[in-house]
Amino acid sequence: MSEYFRDIGNSVTTILTGMGITLRHFFNAVKRKGDAGIDDDNYFAQVDGLATLQYPKEAIPTPETGRYRLYCDISDCIGCKQCERACPIDCIIIETVKVTKDDLDVCGKTSGGQQKRFWVPVFDIDVAQCMTCGICVAVCPTECLYHTQVSDFSEFRRENMIYHFGNLSKLETEAKKKKAEEEKKAAPKPKPKPKPAPEVQPAEGG
Amino acid sequence: MQELGTSEHSSLRVTPQGKDRVLIEKDLSSEEMVLNMGPQHPSTHGVLRLECKTDGEVVIEAEPYLGYLHRCFEKYAEKVDYPAVVPFVDRMDYLASMNNDLAYCITVEKLLDIEIPRRVEFIRVLVSELNRIASHLVAIGTYAIDLGAFTPFLFCFRDREHILGLLEWASGARMLYNYILIGGVAEDLPEGFMERTREFVTYFRPKAVELQKLLTENEIFVKRTKGVGMMPADVAINYGWSGPMLRGSGVDWDLRKIDGYSVYPELDFKVCLPDGKLSDIGDSLSRHLVRAMEMEESLSIIEQCLDMMPREDGFNPRAAIPKRIRPKAGEVYGRAENPRGELGFYIQSDGKSTSPLRCKARSSCFVNLSAMKELSMGQLIPDLVAIIGSIDIVLGEVDR
Amino acid sequence: MNTGLLLPNSFPFVMSTSLNAWSDALSDLYLLGLPLGLVIIAAIPLVFIALYALTYGVYGERKISAFMQDRLGPMEVGKWGILQTLADILKLLQKEDIVNKSADKFLFVIGPGVLFVGSFLAFAVLPFGPAFIGADLNVGLFYAIGIVALEVVGILAAGWGSNNKWALYGAIRSVAQIVSYEIPAAIAILCGAMMAGTLSMQQFNLLQEGPYGFVHFYLFQNPIAWLPFIIYFIASLAETNRAPFDIPEAESELVAGYFTEYTGMKFAVIFLAEYGSMFMVSAIISIVFLGGWNSPLPNIGSVALNDWTSGPVWGAFWIIMKGFFFIFIQMWLRWTLPRLRVDQLMHLCWKVLTPFAFVAFVLVAVWEIYVK
Repeated sequence: MSEYFRDIGNSVTTILTGMGITLRHFFNAVKRKGDAGIDDDNYFAQVDGLATLQYPKEAIPTPETGRYRLYCDISDCIGCKQCERACPIDCIIIETVKVTKDDLDVCGKTSGGQQKRFWVPVFDIDVAQCMTCGICVAVCPTECLYHTQVSDFSEFRRENMIYHFGNLSKLETEAKKKKAEEEKKAAPKPKPKPKPAPEVQPAEGG
Repeated sequence: MQELGTSEHSSLRVTPQGKDRVLIEKDLSSEEMVLNMGPQHPSTHGVLRLECKTDGEVVIEAEPYLGYLHRCFEKYAEKVDYPAVVPFVDRMDYLASMNNDLAYCITVEKLLDIEIPRRVEFIRVLVSELNRIASHLVAIGTYAIDLGAFTPFLFCFRDREHILGLLEWASGARMLYNYILIGGVAEDLPEGFMERTREFVTYFRPKAVELQKLLTENEIFVKRTKGVGMMPADVAINYGWSGPMLRGSGVDWDLRKIDGYSVYPELDFKVCLPDGKLSDIGDSLSRHLVRAMEMEESLSIIEQCLDMMPREDGFNPRAAIPKRIRPKAGEVYGRAENPRGELGFYIQSDGKSTSPLRCKARSSCFVNLSAMKELSMGQLIPDLVAIIGSIDIVLGEVDR
Repeated sequence: MNTGLLLPNSFPFVMSTSLNAWSDALSDLYLLGLPLGLVIIAAIPLVFIALYALTYGVYGERKISAFMQDRLGPMEVGKWGILQTLADILKLLQKEDIVNKSADKFLFVIGPGVLFVGSFLAFAVLPFGPAFIGADLNVGLFYAIGIVALEVVGILAAGWGSNNKWALYGAIRSVAQIVSYEIPAAIAILCGAMMAGTLSMQQFNLLQEGPYGFVHFYLFQNPIAWLPFIIYFIASLAETNRAPFDIPEAESELVAGYFTEYTGMKFAVIFLAEYGSMFMVSAIISIVFLGGWNSPLPNIGSVALNDWTSGPVWGAFWIIMKGFFFIFIQMWLRWTLPRLRVDQLMHLCWKVLTPFAFVAFVLVAVWEIYVK
């Protein structure tokens, strides 16, 4: 019998405690959380009150380290294809054409001063597939591939999720390909290498 | 469960809970109803499917069916390089990616036998303990919602948001971090991270108390969970349970203490066990209490990490990362204490390839879930929901 | 009423007296032999107050739950999202009305109808003020609690007719629950009826009228009245399937309970019926224990707060406010507590509420007979 009344007493007190907590929150609803990012010094000073941010109008700022949409600065890309090989889900597709000797100047250098030896007519990233793991970024020798802070990039058509970064038009590509072929033919016989390096292979192997 | 029936359809059933729940059907013709719970059901935590045989509200038998979220992790691991497995490991227990990464990385490091910088170890422990709190918050919150209390769920998610923010700041991603790498971490902690984490600890302590008052001590919650889903310690061990589930049954077993991987031996923390005051040892409430206590313990581990973390200028967290990972032929089993139990990886290397010959994951959720059939016998449907919630499964890890 | 303070005095005066006269005049209006005036008097509370209030009950629930959970709640449709419920109703109207193939079509269709009718029939005897009452039955209270219980039939029809196992569970649970909780609820209400000595809803209000406002309410007239008051409140939660007794529609166990299969307007009707009965039980409890449409403000000397805040429109205001107050408490409880289990629910009903209701019944009777 005493247990019976203790149960009732317990129920009443704990229910009232819980109701007190929710009521406190109810009256605290006059305050709203600010939209400062976690990297803001006053972040925890502004988290009291209603926590909702109304997304398209207000958003939690992405910190500088945010790892979202993949972007390639194609002018710095040397076409080494390391990212393509490192990608665990094969969402990067690269095609390269060797730069002929007379074109080396036209092709230019990277911002780091490295001579580019490949045209990159096709550099496609399927951001719909990309899982933003950052492995490609880690292997990129020229740091031309990186994740940006843009996290909202939805599209109505799936094709639009494939981002084309290649910097040659179709015609140009044809011309460059032809040129490379010609140079290859005109070039002196391959050096006495046991096996000729595949045409797109950079110096360092995988 | 005993059956004292006289004919096929009439029976007197006494559930393990004893005299409180007796169902008598003598002269009525009745049969069992098969009730399909899931894969689309609000409280099966994803895509678990339970095929329940029910007699009224009493579940006679519940058979879990898995595989709705199978993503061929083990086959993928054989296909990609060792470092590229990490993002897939993230996606196993997606609520505790950091802990998954840690388990996988210490396994490969064991295979490679490499030395890890001390600061990296502290960073790893720090982020995995943060993630443990986030994971337990989801566990507690969804448990509350399983039992019909909506508000604690949102409070938990509100607080988890800050942890996700912190981890996003450190790693760049909110949920699937790929932060802990073989031999290091992806980035050093950003400037101000440690201060903010300290602020989080001071912010979170009162919230945890509030959560305890609102949910854990609530008489209805206690009544709903106390004595439900009892699991004696020996049976739990036989089922291979681990983590808060096993500790909820009163077994002092924490891999952070037992294996002492990373810098855990240097840290001062205790293994959380239910004291049996509020709960019966081995019931759903004990498991919930263990999780709640572990959050407290994790907070203290985080504080210790922040105090003890060596500061180095120009620290390169990737310094110890091997350029090419091609372990010698051999096999290794490594494990770590995840929020849901022991996550182990068995990796076999043939010595030639840069990807594992075989990578088997020993998933804690899967093993914990195996006791579902035993636990659900003779329970009521609401209790079944309470039991599933207390097991705290993440189907991503169960199905892999 | 003509002493000093002209401004605060004259406004309620206009509202009370002229409205009374107005409604009396209206009740004599006959058009083509039909009592059109009476229809208008009865329809005003029902259509304009009840439905409007219910729509905003839904909005209120969303906002209250949001604020208790540190959220914002609906914000998009209209300023602060006040048009959200209307938008929802519009959306539900446009939805396809699906009757699943293996459902018992007759039961499936009449289920929501019975629910809705059951919950709104009770409004017929609900006095919204001295002038607004659909039908002042001499057994009004009995009729109200009886007709609210009619919902059981609707729920059972809906749950059984859906031909869905979850819906069936929900319906069976609901029937067991509502039928059981009728007993403590009825006994608690009986305590009130004993204090008043009548079952007429309007009589209840008139008996609790007085210059000192809340002092005349039965809750404060009898030292034991709080016990049946609390018992009826708890039992009314169970009767309207509100948390922590929402096991018939326990979303984490039974998906949605007895209305799992309902879509579109049928779903909306079930939803409205739920809020309708929420308001109804709140109104009953405020009429029986808290004076119904009487103003709770006392007359303090020449500051005749009670007189100023009495009258037909004030009456409607007070009863709606009291109803909303209890609806707020119902919501507050819902967003605080976990859900009980079926057996605990029955334990609470039969082993806690019913014995206490009997004790309260005896004590109130003793007080009424020997002390008062």
